[in-house]
Amino acid sequence: MSNKRKRIDLIYQGITYAAASVAVIVLSMIFIYVFTNGSGLLNFGLITTDYHAKFYNSGIQEVDQFSTAPRPDNLGEDTYYSEKWGIALADSEDREGKLVITVEYVSEDSPLKNLMYDKNSEDEKPIQLEEGDILGTIKFNDKGSALSIYGAKNMLDELDEEDTFREMVFYTKGGGIRGSIITTLYLIGLTMLLALPIGVFTAIYLNEFAPINRFTNILRSMIEVLTGVPSIIFGLMGLAVFVPLTVKYTPADSGNIISGAMTLAVILLPVIIRSTEESLKVVPDAFRQASLALGANETQTTFKVVLPSAIPGILTATLLAIGRVIGESAALIFAIGTAIKDDISIFGKSTSLAVHIWSLMTDEPANIELASTIAVIILIIVLALNLLVKLVSKKFTKKFD
Amino acid sequence: MNNVFNIKNLDLFYDDFQALKNIDLDVEKNKVTALIGPSGCGKSTFIRCLNRMNDLIPSCKIEGNIQYHKEDIYDDNYDVIGLRTDVGMVFQSPNPFPMSIYDNVAYGPRCAGNKNKDKLDKIVENSLKKAALYDEVKDRMNDSAMGLSGGQQQRLCIARAIAMEPEVILMDEPTSALDPIATLKIEELINDLKENYTIVIVTHSMQQAARISDKTAFFLMGELIEVDETDKIFTQPSNQKTEDYITGRFG
Amino acid sequence: MTEIKKQITRFKKKFNFNSKKEVIDFLVRTFFLLSTILSASFIVIIIIFIAQKGVIPFVTDNDGIGRVNLWKFLTGLDWLKGTAFKSNLYGVGFIIINTLYISFFALLISMPIGVLTALFIAKIAPKKIAEFLRTVVELLAAVPSIVYGLFGSGLILTLVYNLAKIFGVQSKGGNSVLAVILVLALMILPTITALSEVAIRSVNKDIEHGSLALGATRTQTNFKVVLSSAKSGIFSAAILGLGRALGEATAVSLVAGNARSGPSLAFFEITSTLTSTMLQGLKETIGIDYDIRFSVGLVLMVVILFSNLTLNFIKKKVGNVDVK
Repeated sequence: MSNKRKRIDLIYQGITYAAASVAVIVLSMIFIYVFTNGSGLLNFGLITTDYHAKFYNSGIQEVDQFSTAPRPDNLGEDTYYSEKWGIALADSEDREGKLVITVEYVSEDSPLKNLMYDKNSEDEKPIQLEEGDILGTIKFNDKGSALSIYGAKNMLDELDEEDTFREMVFYTKGGGIRGSIITTLYLIGLTMLLALPIGVFTAIYLNEFAPINRFTNILRSMIEVLTGVPSIIFGLMGLAVFVPLTVKYTPADSGNIISGAMTLAVILLPVIIRSTEESLKVVPDAFRQASLALGANETQTTFKVVLPSAIPGILTATLLAIGRVIGESAALIFAIGTAIKDDISIFGKSTSLAVHIWSLMTDEPANIELASTIAVIILIIVLALNLLVKLVSKKFTKKFD
Repeated sequence: MNNVFNIKNLDLFYDDFQALKNIDLDVEKNKVTALIGPSGCGKSTFIRCLNRMNDLIPSCKIEGNIQYHKEDIYDDNYDVIGLRTDVGMVFQSPNPFPMSIYDNVAYGPRCAGNKNKDKLDKIVENSLKKAALYDEVKDRMNDSAMGLSGGQQQRLCIARAIAMEPEVILMDEPTSALDPIATLKIEELINDLKENYTIVIVTHSMQQAARISDKTAFFLMGELIEVDETDKIFTQPSNQKTEDYITGRFG
Repeated sequence: MTEIKKQITRFKKKFNFNSKKEVIDFLVRTFFLLSTILSASFIVIIIIFIAQKGVIPFVTDNDGIGRVNLWKFLTGLDWLKGTAFKSNLYGVGFIIINTLYISFFALLISMPIGVLTALFIAKIAPKKIAEFLRTVVELLAAVPSIVYGLFGSGLILTLVYNLAKIFGVQSKGGNSVLAVILVLALMILPTITALSEVAIRSVNKDIEHGSLALGATRTQTNFKVVLSSAKSGIFSAAILGLGRALGEATAVSLVAGNARSGPSLAFFEITSTLTSTMLQGLKETIGIDYDIRFSVGLVLMVVILFSNLTLNFIKKKVGNVDVK
């Protein structure tokens, strides 16, 4: 073979290597981008706390006994401690990147463990300043307020000079995604509850019972067409059909988890049907005939012989479907709405993790850091599900060989 | 003696299974050599050794010696691409490329680096003429080859092989997928071709071997039982197994 | 109790059932059939309800705002530009052009990369690398579109912004035609790669061997014979990829920049697509700004349908007449 030909071959081969590397580069870039931006906020607190901060305007009764606790050893260099009040404060950033003063430590005998709920309210229930809270302002009776913009040290110095104060404004950290996680879990559960039976029954009908005729073909192609419909169109359907439906028959008054789950169920039907059908197809006919020959009727054969064989397909479908629910955004923007909530009810407004990202990104200014953190969570779950699907199909494909 | 191929002590294994056992065979120039035997006897496997198409099967391992013009074609430095341009092949079922008739025939020369339009035109015309297909397709050279009949497709594949100006053409049961009339045409074509080419043909039909070949080799269970002039094989074979086979006692 | 038994016997007689088992069979079968009909009915529900809502702006006077002229809607070059509460504010003509323009370029980038990657996976790569790449492609396909949107609005916007600077163009933070094209090209890449790979792998081995036996090299065989044999499957991949590009919403809306007039043909201009337009003005829950979204959705469905039909038509043509 001539050298020229060899060279041309090498060039062509090189082009395919280059093309293939694009996929790898893109995937790694997505990972690197999302992880570098998102890992900073990633901790357990994020997934257990509320998104919306709770504000307190607390007052204090006369203090009998000030704190005597010494400065704990584990506090950082930049943390300021007041022995009198038993609290440690530090300058830091909140989840939106604003400079704030956070409460790092509150001693057991701190008078701030016993605050009045609201200086104006008659509510006798005492509240506590807790570690992790953000201190906004302390207003004093006979001098100017200590503001957070002057930093933690200034605030502590001002506080140490006084024996009491008129009002302490503090709030919980917020920016957590607990609510959206709960909504997402509800969505997964409800969607599967709706889509799995319908999908599996449809697959069984099409594969086991359906006569080969035009009607069946039409049914088949009508289901097939669904796969080509973009998810935003499903969202419109949710908005036009399921939202009014749930508003009419449930306490809901706008998009809600049920209308979202119904919409997702429709999106997932073709996935579940196809996956189940594929695993039904590999069940050898001999199994069915053997069962029928033993005097079992169609129903018994279906439920006792055919359905168990379809379990790997159903399992695969379930895993894929969960991934799709977690990742779906366009349809849910319409079918649930974009309101980020902390108190979740299946009839009320709330939103899923993916739409949470969308809300954060369309805010001015966009909160890319928190959005990336949620994206990290979504990515890890979705990719784990996909690898699991691979594992499941590998494990079960050998079954009938 | 004017031999194109000299095969000595050829063993071929698929993993642990030995498909060819100690084959010794010489292929003479400008003769038609037919390989016969019951299916699974190794005749197709053998023919694929001659242009190293068995390289494509990963589990295939070859021992022994195949010389093409006194050169060992299984030598590590041997130019396989060059071998395949000199030793063309026609397959069991017609396998034209999904391109026009013209492009099918011009494919080989183009791959070898021939870009001259006039030369290609000539090559295509000559090859089609030699394959007795030209008159049937001359008006639709740019139509898809997939539209041809099975027999025409097979002749196109022969034309495609001829376009490379090979010395040897290997044919692996070239008529097994064709109807009797198309088969007859191919057989006539082979008769015409042997003036200029050396042909090795695997066939499942003893009548075909008797009609078209000069020499016949009888394979059985991976062994070469007997090779001789075709007339002699079919009238007075020296081996009992050959006689059993051609008289239809098995296979 | 006896009444129920009587009923059952009557039922059995009517349908010629011989045993209880057959009754159960009949009921189960019917139930499964109903499930199937329900599954199949959703496409009809989608079309009916979206069409029903989507025509409202054109047939009612929209609470006094006035009827939207369908022709002006389809050919208009402005969207919600000008004095509020007028029926002549809605024109999707330029948005349709934007959407097709962007999807076309996304396909133009993705097709060669996707098909060559598929060829590499199916024919060239060693087994382990092929398996690895297959997983990579699957994972890319599994990355949700919102994550592509985040990646796009974080990294690709910066990239496009700086690129525009090099060309001396001030882009709106990178929001541009080019950014949408790039994001969509990435998103449809796995679809095209996976489907093309299936098409390439199903090419008949005989044809490949035919080429190799003619003294063509592996690479020549792959590029000349294998690709042209897989043509029809690769075309199907393009059709699916285009469908995905046309319908993609969230990621696009984060990098498009929401142009209110157009069409936007320059690469660094802001743009808007049918989907990004639908995601605007979400606060409305009633009235024309709510209904018009369904009209846009209807347009999107028609655009997807037509581009599918066109490509299928071309596919048939290409399938018969061979292109070199």
